[in-house]
Amino acid sequence: MVSLNTTNQNSLLIRIKIKISRLLLQPSFIIGLILVIILTYLVIAPIISIFSNSVSLTMMDAMLSGGKDGAFTYKYIDRVFTSSISEKIFWTPLKNSITVSFFATLIALALGLILASLVTSTNIFGRRYLGFLLIIPYMLPSQAMATAWLTMFKNRKISGPPGMLESFGFTPPDWLAYGPLPISICMALSYFPFAFLLFSSALSKIDIQLEEVASTLGAKTKTIWTKIILPLLIPTTMSVLLLTVARTLGTFATPYILGTPAKYTLLSTSLYSSVRSNESGVVAVLAIVLSLIGVMLLLVDIWVVRKWQRFITVGGKGIKRQPSKLGLFRTPTTIFAWLIFLLAALGPFVVLALSTLMREPGNFSFSNFGLAYWTGVNVPGMDQPGMFTSPEVLTALKNSFLIAGSASIICGVLGLLIGYAVVRLPGTLISGFLRQISFLPYLMPGLAFAAAYLSLFAVARGPIPALYGSISLLILVMVVTYLPYASRSGISAMMQVGPEPEEAGMVLGAGFWRRIVSILAPLQKSALVIAIILPFITGMKELSLVVMLVTPGTELLTTQSIRFLDFGYTQLANATILIIGVVVMISVLILNRVTKTNLASGLGG
Amino acid sequence: MSEIKLNSLIKNFGGNSLAVDNLSVTFPSGEFVCLLGPSGCGKTTTLRMIAGLERPDSGEIFCGDQTYFSSNTGEYLKTEKRNLGLMFQSYALWPHMTVFQNIVFGLDMKNVSSSEKDKRFEELEKLFQLKNLKNRYPSELSGGQQQRVALARMLAVNPNLLLLDEPLSNLDSNLRLEMRAELKRLHQTLGCTIVFVTHDQMEAMTLATSIAVMNKGIIEQLAKPMEIYKNPKSLFVAKFVGSPQMNIVDFNDGEQLASSLLNKTKFDKIDVKTLGIRPESIKLTSKDNGDINGTIETIQPTGADWIVGLNILGKSIFAISSDQPPGNENDIIGLSFKLDGLHAFDRNDHKLEAD
Repeated sequence: MVSLNTTNQNSLLIRIKIKISRLLLQPSFIIGLILVIILTYLVIAPIISIFSNSVSLTMMDAMLSGGKDGAFTYKYIDRVFTSSISEKIFWTPLKNSITVSFFATLIALALGLILASLVTSTNIFGRRYLGFLLIIPYMLPSQAMATAWLTMFKNRKISGPPGMLESFGFTPPDWLAYGPLPISICMALSYFPFAFLLFSSALSKIDIQLEEVASTLGAKTKTIWTKIILPLLIPTTMSVLLLTVARTLGTFATPYILGTPAKYTLLSTSLYSSVRSNESGVVAVLAIVLSLIGVMLLLVDIWVVRKWQRFITVGGKGIKRQPSKLGLFRTPTTIFAWLIFLLAALGPFVVLALSTLMREPGNFSFSNFGLAYWTGVNVPGMDQPGMFTSPEVLTALKNSFLIAGSASIICGVLGLLIGYAVVRLPGTLISGFLRQISFLPYLMPGLAFAAAYLSLFAVARGPIPALYGSISLLILVMVVTYLPYASRSGISAMMQVGPEPEEAGMVLGAGFWRRIVSILAPLQKSALVIAIILPFITGMKELSLVVMLVTPGTELLTTQSIRFLDFGYTQLANATILIIGVVVMISVLILNRVTKTNLASGLGG
Repeated sequence: MSEIKLNSLIKNFGGNSLAVDNLSVTFPSGEFVCLLGPSGCGKTTTLRMIAGLERPDSGEIFCGDQTYFSSNTGEYLKTEKRNLGLMFQSYALWPHMTVFQNIVFGLDMKNVSSSEKDKRFEELEKLFQLKNLKNRYPSELSGGQQQRVALARMLAVNPNLLLLDEPLSNLDSNLRLEMRAELKRLHQTLGCTIVFVTHDQMEAMTLATSIAVMNKGIIEQLAKPMEIYKNPKSLFVAKFVGSPQMNIVDFNDGEQLASSLLNKTKFDKIDVKTLGIRPESIKLTSKDNGDINGTIETIQPTGADWIVGLNILGKSIFAISSDQPPGNENDIIGLSFKLDGLHAFDRNDHKLEAD
């Protein structure tokens, strides 16, 4: 008996020794473990914090009503869903959000499908350029469209310089200037490029042989489209639908700029005003509702994709569809496509640019043009410095570069590290956990996530100081929000390279660091550059995520443009947006250089 | 020169069955061993465990007097320290390094002086006909050149043991023939132990000095190539090696043929479940002159010989004839069976031995 026991103990000890030595010998395991600890805090903690905030009494309410600070309460849930103000803070915004999302998505979907079909499959004029030009709205910050609209259609209802149409003597009615109609149109024009990209890519992936078979069986082009191509696009359509709805629900800038003057509130703006009035309990409840809607849409999308899997066509010889001849329709369709480009990309840009160059809106005489709003010399009608001399603009510019820059570098490196750990530890708990957790922020709209961060980092907790009001908080929240994209591209980059190059080095005697330096890093160079520039572009345009976290001194270009707008300095707001646009365009050009493809095919492929 | 010894190796990837199931085998020093089997039979896993890229769940691996792995003592020698050569199916040449950089990488790891590196490179350059390719990148090489660079990279450090993972499967058929000869010559000059993995039985037959046929994580038979072919120990081995496949028949499916074959052997019907006959052991004669009659279904001339599809009362089989078949499609001819290619298998699919 005794000897049996000792052997048992021995083998147990040996087994533990083997297990530990096995794990410690794997650098991917150590990296993975560190990542798990960091991400748990950065992703899970805010979510827990927001759930607890939704049901615990704030200090303010505790003092007012005599409860205990942090006590359990249904107060905020009641306030949002059943109280007398619930109509104002939740039910009406919900109704409005649904209305706007419905119309915006419908228009975006239709535009995307029609334009993608025209560009990929017909001989309209300039189809080669349209493929790139039509995705420009995607690169503009979301408030560009809204401020351009405002610059054009604004009436006397709100302060600041008059709109262009008003200066021409035509006063736009309120329904055209503010509220659901302009919000829907602006959102649709901002988001249709997304539909356009997905449809283009789906169309180019359909195996041309499926269509050729139909035509050998006697089908005409029209029949091929209605019986074969369009049915095959059903899964893409569903995806576009759900993801566009999710995007419109999370958008803050458009409803803030075009809805506020008409007191037309959406869920996103309602959440924002609750933040401004310091109602952290209500904020938490609203953020949870927004996230739940996001989760629901995503689950439906996953379900749809799975259900329609049989529609995914495999193979094909990569032969391009012959562009079909449009005949008589060639000119009208060409005009239509270019008109959309004009409305969604060129128009807003020109309107914004003109507004900053004209001393008085709508006066096209030569003497009215000048650089006053940029240089700050003789700025008409306000005691504001110009773009180049304003300390606020300079701070915001610096902050934008600092925040988006650091966030994107951290994000890119973190993404590749996650990719490394996930791909090298297949089938382990760590790999699965990292994959899931880095995807989690994708489910929450930026506003909700920011609210969660606000509640977590407003006060010091343990060793982590209160970060509210600091640049680091903004960097942190950006890193975590973009993590889903970064980790996904990191995982796919690592998958693409595969384990063999590293294993080949291992066999020849290269240790871990040597393998990283001589083999992995050079192989992932371009993946890393892309993984940094893409979040940088998004970060430069980011508004909804940061708008409730900035404080004076940590303003970004995007939030600064909103401040300018709040004060009625339309021209300065427009100039700020133009700067963002230019920075983004330059980044896109650099990206094209690096990847040696254009963004259209990059995002579409 | 070292022998490879695997002892009770077990590896589980979490599926329903083990990837490698209690494998114990010794590959003698200097052999050119082939692990042959269908995909998913555990052959690549076994190779990767020898290389140290995969860790066994339990068991032992020895190479000569070195312990590579032992779950009894907890010993584990890192891949980097095993001094072996491994060639991947994809070659895994580093795309960002030139031919020279790729080949001397292993020497760099050993801090070899640069004059010695150049000397070694020149030797390999000559051996593998890599003249003028020194500064090219892998993407600028043809498939055959890439393969030779991969071989040179592996051999640059004089490894004790060479491991090849489906080394020829990415080559076209002409080049494959050439590289087979190359590998065979290499084995003769180096004399070191080589373990290679393939699912191509032709490759295994032509290259190896001994073949281990694997199925579902175990080795069904380890023997010299001709022994494997002539004397398959199990139904699986009989079916897997040989092209066209051995004709397999049992009493439910082709009763007539099975009985006729059984009559040729000395076995009892009670012991026999399945019978197999190699296509080349079926001799074609005129009607009623053989052991049984059959109808010709198809004739495929290959140039060297004829592959004849036959039907015997509903059961289709193939025969290989080095003479012109004694009839055309739909003609009835006679078949006689030669004993050397005739095998009988029991209820457990083991070969029945005549005693």
